[in-house]
Amino acid sequence: MSNHTNDSHDQAHGDDHEEWDVHAHITDTKFLVAIFSALIVLTVITVAVSRVDLGSANTFVAMLVATVKAGLVATFFMHLRHEKPFNTVIFISAFVFLGIFIFFTLDDLSTRGRIDPANGVSVYARNGELAPGGFTPIVTPEHGAAGEHGAAAAGHDAPAAGHDAPAAPAHH
Amino acid sequence: MSTASSTEHAAASHGHEHPKWLAHHFDSPAQQFDTAKLGMWIFICTEILMFGGLFVAYAIFRGQEPQMFHQAHEHLNWRLGAVNTIVLLFSSLTAALAVRQSQVGDRKGTSRYLVLTLLCAFGFLCIKYIEYTAKLDHGLLPGRCFGHPWFGDHCIGGGAAVLPAAVHGLSTRAHMFFAIYFMMTGLHGVHVLVGIGVLSWVLMRNMRGDFSKGYFTAVEIGALYWHLVDLVWIYLFPLLYLVG
Repeated sequence: MSNHTNDSHDQAHGDDHEEWDVHAHITDTKFLVAIFSALIVLTVITVAVSRVDLGSANTFVAMLVATVKAGLVATFFMHLRHEKPFNTVIFISAFVFLGIFIFFTLDDLSTRGRIDPANGVSVYARNGELAPGGFTPIVTPEHGAAGEHGAAAAGHDAPAAGHDAPAAPAHH
Repeated sequence: MSTASSTEHAAASHGHEHPKWLAHHFDSPAQQFDTAKLGMWIFICTEILMFGGLFVAYAIFRGQEPQMFHQAHEHLNWRLGAVNTIVLLFSSLTAALAVRQSQVGDRKGTSRYLVLTLLCAFGFLCIKYIEYTAKLDHGLLPGRCFGHPWFGDHCIGGGAAVLPAAVHGLSTRAHMFFAIYFMMTGLHGVHVLVGIGVLSWVLMRNMRGDFSKGYFTAVEIGALYWHLVDLVWIYLFPLLYLVG
């Protein structure tokens, strides 16, 4: 019934209103089914690859396959292929900002020092070695306990807290 | 009322009739359609960033304790996760087909595909329910009862008196993995529920005959939302169920 309204519009504005009517690309049904099949194949690949031990490459491959799948969904199911490019820019920008979020957070956490509880000095979280900058050893009445431990282990220039037990005092 | 009359007035002065669904602050149906899609893509952007916080938490804690993540993820049922992945991918296909049928003016086809999409959404939630109850029964819900069945004697009443040193060979710190698991899949599950609401509304309007070849904005936007739900799950599945 509203089709009728549209048809009359086509006739009335066909020439002077090029951008009047909605012109959305109509995707072929078979093509959409083909994309779905590709997504299923990629899902099988994800599961199959996870059964094989590739070390740290496992996560990389899983994320790569997931991104290809997400790309297929966004490009064809969500019509970005035939959409105004600005919508794609918005979509990509979400991942750019997410990348900034993840990169700087992980960069901070992997490089910042933390206070070694046994010695009261700044050490790298990842290997327990002395970290430059950050806090210097502070021995105050409030930190008396830490100070005593620090004094006990004063002989160690580079306090080596274990990788797996960050709170363990240095024992050699 | 005043909107309707001013639209009529504008239509009269233009010398042609406007479709009743064209809001009077838009020049043309094409502009209205593009504006709706622009708004939806910006919303999708904010949704990705909202999930982004949880993905960052995942990266931090997995980076700190990769072995714990690997051990803990083995308590998830990857087969059910894979089935749910296929269910969601299929529902994404049917949502895309619903839009297509709407574009060619096939009202019955649109309804049929929307109903299929909704059935998949309910199927997804049923499988999620099976998974969640298994986690609760195995004492894997993080919090004061971690390590004890949620409905067990230890937990009903005063809560778990003693946290077991190890849960099924897991370190007690495995509660971090399950906290992230429940938050990520939970937020995603809320989106599935919202998607069911949105698609039901679109289905209702479609059956009422609101849409046509020239106006199917709500079908398109509703489908975009549903594809977003699919997109998030595409990443959740390998990250939670297939930890290397």
